[in-house]
Amino acid sequence: MSMILGNLSIFFIPCLITIILVSGLRAKTPMYDCFVVGAKDGLHTAVEMLPFIIAIFIGIESLTASGAMDFFKSTLGPVFALIKVPEELISLILLRPISGSGSLVLAEQIMEESGTDGLVGRAASVMTGSCETVFYVLAIYFGVTSVKKMRHAFSAGIIGYIVGVAASIAICHVI
Amino acid sequence: MNYIWAGMLLIGIIFSIINNRPDVFTEALMQSCTDAIYFMIGLSGIIAVWCGLMNIAKDSGLIDKIALKAMPAMKFLFPHEKDKDTIAMMLMSFTANVFGAGNSATVFSLKAMERLDKENGGSTDASDAMCMFMAVSMSMIQLVPITIIKIRNDLGSQNPGSIIIPAIVAGLISMAVSIAVCKYYEALERRRKKCR
Repeated sequence: MSMILGNLSIFFIPCLITIILVSGLRAKTPMYDCFVVGAKDGLHTAVEMLPFIIAIFIGIESLTASGAMDFFKSTLGPVFALIKVPEELISLILLRPISGSGSLVLAEQIMEESGTDGLVGRAASVMTGSCETVFYVLAIYFGVTSVKKMRHAFSAGIIGYIVGVAASIAICHVI
Repeated sequence: MNYIWAGMLLIGIIFSIINNRPDVFTEALMQSCTDAIYFMIGLSGIIAVWCGLMNIAKDSGLIDKIALKAMPAMKFLFPHEKDKDTIAMMLMSFTANVFGAGNSATVFSLKAMERLDKENGGSTDASDAMCMFMAVSMSMIQLVPITIIKIRNDLGSQNPGSIIIPAIVAGLISMAVSIAVCKYYEALERRRKKCR
């Protein structure tokens, strides 16, 4: 099962490109010209995005490098313990919403220490596999728009994230 | 966003002083600017490629066809969305996410957000469609979380792939809740407008 799904993921992009090119050939689209025009537009977007990316990168680094994250972790520890969240997972739960690569490194450390197939290791894997980097996504997506008030996008993201974490841990408890 | 961002930086500065490591803090902060630029350089190539390919898909009529097929599902999430290109962009973002092509997914999402922003008339309030799109993308499932499976494999797990199904289930639960939250707020807003 996991083999089939894995292959599906590997072939996704080549297949997609083939489909696009075949449809271009059939419609006799001037493909090369189209590509260049689109790519130029894309680079324009990239330059426009850069300031927002820099802003969110330093914001996140500020929280992690200063030790603020560690402080939140130790303060929130007892609260999490009340609802049966393994202590090892707390920093992952806090880091995941703001940093994708950071949380991957952390998940690896957790599994190195607690093993991969215990409750902690599996819950850490399921969490990183199913929960998104909510704050990061919010900041970058809205960064390219003129929006100042996020309205319910914020609560939907946070609630979804909390439910996702809870579901991950619950499922690992059951299995 | 204004206050969140300033807050993040200020909290960081205060804690770096409390923890007596402002030097490490400063260095990390400057390093992260460089990281951001490198990240963007890597991403801009992918952005250019996908925008180019999508332009071919658009001109050849492929996008229209796909958008037409996906209409029923997208109608439920985005009842007021008419623009085919926007729908196609959102759809591509979801699909890329499902197949674990994270960077490509980001590209499509940002393009979709740009288009939604234009449709929103540059308003400073997020539109319903934006919120729903964000909610779905933030909770989108990934068919095979390749990176985490690789990490598990490297660490000698008995069954690295055993987390796939639980991850999909947890992801679906979180997605359903996110969509429900959005729908709830939309209904709330509508009722408020009626009362006036």
